[in-house]
Amino acid sequence: MSRIKAICCNYTLSVEPDALKSAGLVPEDVEFERLPCTGRLEVPELLDAFTQGAAAVFVVGCELDKCHNLSGSRRASKRVAQAKKILEELDMDPGLVEMFFAGRGETEPVVEAARLMAARAARAKKAQ
Amino acid sequence: MCTMYCPRPVVDTYNERLEITRAPHIDYAQAIPSSYYIDAKACLRVNFETCNLCAQTCTAGAIDFSQKPKNLELEVGAVVLTPGFGRVDESVLEKFGYGRYPDVLTAFEFERLTCASGPTEGHIVRPSDNRPPKKIAFLQCIGSRDETCGNGYCSSVCCMYAIKEASVAKEHEPDLDVSIFFMDVRTMGKGFDDARKRAQEKYGINVIRARVPRVDQVDGRLALTWTTDDGEHHSGIFDMVVLSVGLESPEDAEVISKVADIGLNRYNFCKTRVDSPLSTTREGVYVAGAFQGPKDIPESVTQASGVAAIASELLADARSSQTVSITYPEENKALEEQEPRIGIFVCHCGVNIAGVVDVKAVRDYAASLPGVVLYEDPLYSCSQDALKSIAEKIKENNLNRVVIAACSPRTHEPLFQETLRSVGLNPALVEMANIRDQCAWVHAQEPEAATEKAKDLVRMAAAKARLLSPLEQPTVDVTPGALVLGGGAAGMSAALSIADQGYNVTLIEKSRQLGGNLRRLTWTLDGENAKEVLEDMISRVEEHPGIEVITNSSVESISGYVGNFTSTIATGKKTRLVNHGVTVIATGAREYKPKSYAYGESPRIITQLELEEKLSRGRGFLKNARNIVMIQCVGSRGDDMSHCSRLCCTQAVKNALKLKELKPDANIYILYRDMRTYGFYEDAYREARKKGIIFLRYSPDEKPQVIKQARGIKVRTRDRLLGDDLEIPASLVVLSAGIEPGENQELSKILKAPLTSEGFFLEAHAKLRPVEIAVDGVYLCGLAHGPKSLEESVAQAKAAAAKATIPLAKGKVAVAPIVSRVDQDACIGCGICESLCPFNAIRLSKVGKRKKAQTITASCKGCGICASHCPTIAISMGGFTDEAIMAQIHAFSGRECGEE
Repeated sequence: MSRIKAICCNYTLSVEPDALKSAGLVPEDVEFERLPCTGRLEVPELLDAFTQGAAAVFVVGCELDKCHNLSGSRRASKRVAQAKKILEELDMDPGLVEMFFAGRGETEPVVEAARLMAARAARAKKAQ
Repeated sequence: MCTMYCPRPVVDTYNERLEITRAPHIDYAQAIPSSYYIDAKACLRVNFETCNLCAQTCTAGAIDFSQKPKNLELEVGAVVLTPGFGRVDESVLEKFGYGRYPDVLTAFEFERLTCASGPTEGHIVRPSDNRPPKKIAFLQCIGSRDETCGNGYCSSVCCMYAIKEASVAKEHEPDLDVSIFFMDVRTMGKGFDDARKRAQEKYGINVIRARVPRVDQVDGRLALTWTTDDGEHHSGIFDMVVLSVGLESPEDAEVISKVADIGLNRYNFCKTRVDSPLSTTREGVYVAGAFQGPKDIPESVTQASGVAAIASELLADARSSQTVSITYPEENKALEEQEPRIGIFVCHCGVNIAGVVDVKAVRDYAASLPGVVLYEDPLYSCSQDALKSIAEKIKENNLNRVVIAACSPRTHEPLFQETLRSVGLNPALVEMANIRDQCAWVHAQEPEAATEKAKDLVRMAAAKARLLSPLEQPTVDVTPGALVLGGGAAGMSAALSIADQGYNVTLIEKSRQLGGNLRRLTWTLDGENAKEVLEDMISRVEEHPGIEVITNSSVESISGYVGNFTSTIATGKKTRLVNHGVTVIATGAREYKPKSYAYGESPRIITQLELEEKLSRGRGFLKNARNIVMIQCVGSRGDDMSHCSRLCCTQAVKNALKLKELKPDANIYILYRDMRTYGFYEDAYREARKKGIIFLRYSPDEKPQVIKQARGIKVRTRDRLLGDDLEIPASLVVLSAGIEPGENQELSKILKAPLTSEGFFLEAHAKLRPVEIAVDGVYLCGLAHGPKSLEESVAQAKAAAAKATIPLAKGKVAVAPIVSRVDQDACIGCGICESLCPFNAIRLSKVGKRKKAQTITASCKGCGICASHCPTIAISMGGFTDEAIMAQIHAFSGRECGEE
């Protein structure tokens, strides 16, 4: 199993991750971090997650035109794009870092993102 | 048949749109009237003049498409509005995922799912995948206590129905995990708190105090998040969410208001006043049920009876002016005494019976039974034509016993008894065999065995019919007066209503003046002047020529039975006798005297009623008041008494608002367990919070403490949000002492009127007979029945008056023909029957030198308890004599009576 790091903003993760895990909706090894806004994310933080042992990293922010902090999720998606480029330069699969968007309080997109990233991480592990 | 052949599917609205039915249908098997009706909107014949299939298939020819809508003009003296409640708008439910997520249901839909005759035959399954859910959440206050949807009031019934539905669900599926999300648990009805506690303990239902803001669907399951009152966030995943939707005003409230020219309140319910809860703003137009305000079944039924009393007061002069009485021919006693000549009618009931049982074979079999002179097989024996033909055949053939092999005697026996009476036969000479329920329905898959069983039943019925004997139907004259016990608000209202309906009333009051607990109130719950209400009531009672008030008195004994009571009234040392036809119990209750919270140790620790008395004398005592603390549930809800006293929450809010008005700079705290400001009282609760009154919830295991110090009083309580103890220096502590039953034991013994475990009088049936007690001719209202508001007491008093005037208006009490009869020679006077009779209908009296049992036929219900316990078999039940029952048993085993 490989660890997956999930970074969500305050408005996209309303249900406690433990409740999602105990209901079997999200794999146990997804580690959630909740930020007031994803707009403050910097590229080194995303990359640092990999050095800490994560197999994949994903960010969930507000829908682009409905961001609580107006442009927070737009900023985050730019940072994620930059991180993807760096992964490519390092010969890693750029799909291992990804940006997702979710409506306020909607849990389903978060759960789907976690499952998608878990699948990508597993595929990457196989390819090694 | 019509439903089967109709080609037009329609959504089954009775089953909450969970199922499909056809244009002609019946909502459910036990519907009243129990006949099918056609949904005119969907019917092809009505809309397009095509089809007509159902009319052709109906064997009874009961479908007539030539009928047209008619406008009727009726001349009436009073109008009663009972449109019920409306539905909360779907846009409110959409916030909680209703309509978007298939497994979010309303409680009405869930109710149909748990019903054995519902769309899933009682299996609880998720609409999305038809699989049983494992975790269910009930969300309370959907469309109630919610100003965002315009419904600021509390719907009063949802807490209890959610607990009921949760219990039923657990009964079906014991492994279910059920959580109910409450703000306050409002189970304030009589006995409701006990029922809730039992449900929580027996079924392990989780009670979570939180309001869930929204429902989210994740991977086909439902995610909820909530915050509890300690500030903690929680979330959980559920398989099904049930929305406990509230009671809305009826959809056409405004139309009704315009047509009837009546006023509505701010929530579009009917506008009424506390002292006349059943009167609209227009004279002659009355209201009952949920249109007057959200309420449960017992209260609706009570109001309905109450409104009947008001209409009856108004129309007292016109009573019986338009009635038609039926006359029957003289009973043909000579014919009845002859050898039994039995006529047997075996009913087809369309295909209901004939579809399974070979009716013709049963009919022919009947011919072989002894004493049978006529045997027929009508298509529908209960139809008008068939009844007429049965009557003619009885005459033609000189029948003196009739056996109807058809359906249940519970529903149809009176109809056939009536037919016998119309041709001069005693109604007791008909016997029924239920070959529909007991043969055709339960043995639908085995037609041959069902036919054999039908023959058995007919043979047994005929054997019993031979031994039937005519029963007298005596009537007893009624003394046209009522005795009302208790001169409080309920007693006075009941007395006024009975007297206004034209009967004499004797009103007994224990103390020296009328008024009861109302005398201690300063304002009613909606802020009206209680003194004015009281004085108005007292003057109307005292000036009424039909009411005699006897104060300083109590009842020593009441003997007799419905229609003929004789009571001994003691005034001081003097006693007098009063004859009356009916008795109304309105003996009230009293404020509980607190035993805790340092009550009685300081003049600054008082009860709510004492506060009102102080306030009515002036506001001087508030001069230096800085902090005022009120403590709820003193004595109630397991403190000393197990019941909830229902109105202390509203009383506290009312008094707190009054104090705030008189002394705006005082801090007022209300320490509560659940704020039970039900119905429109919720408005006052909200207003109190807006005005800065502080509400702090305590749990029963962490009760507040009142600490008396050398200088002043301190109240210590736990603040749940801070998670810490709070000490409030209090200038005044007001205890919301509950309502304690009066000394009812003695009266209970005199009247044989049972009490609840709390000591209030027990009604005959909570929903069906809420103001009657098991003993005939005795009625119940006010606080003697249980805690309730002035408004509710008045409505209930009217209801008791309505019920009490029924025997008075009839002038005679008809005695059911099936009553117990004591063979005086065989009776040994042991008294077992007297002690067992639940209706006070059998008693011992001296006959010669010895005591013998005697049935008071007017009170007897024919339950048979006395007959089955009599050690000397001296008691028999008319219509069910031992001989007749033995003959039936012998007939079953194939032997004739006496052939042993």
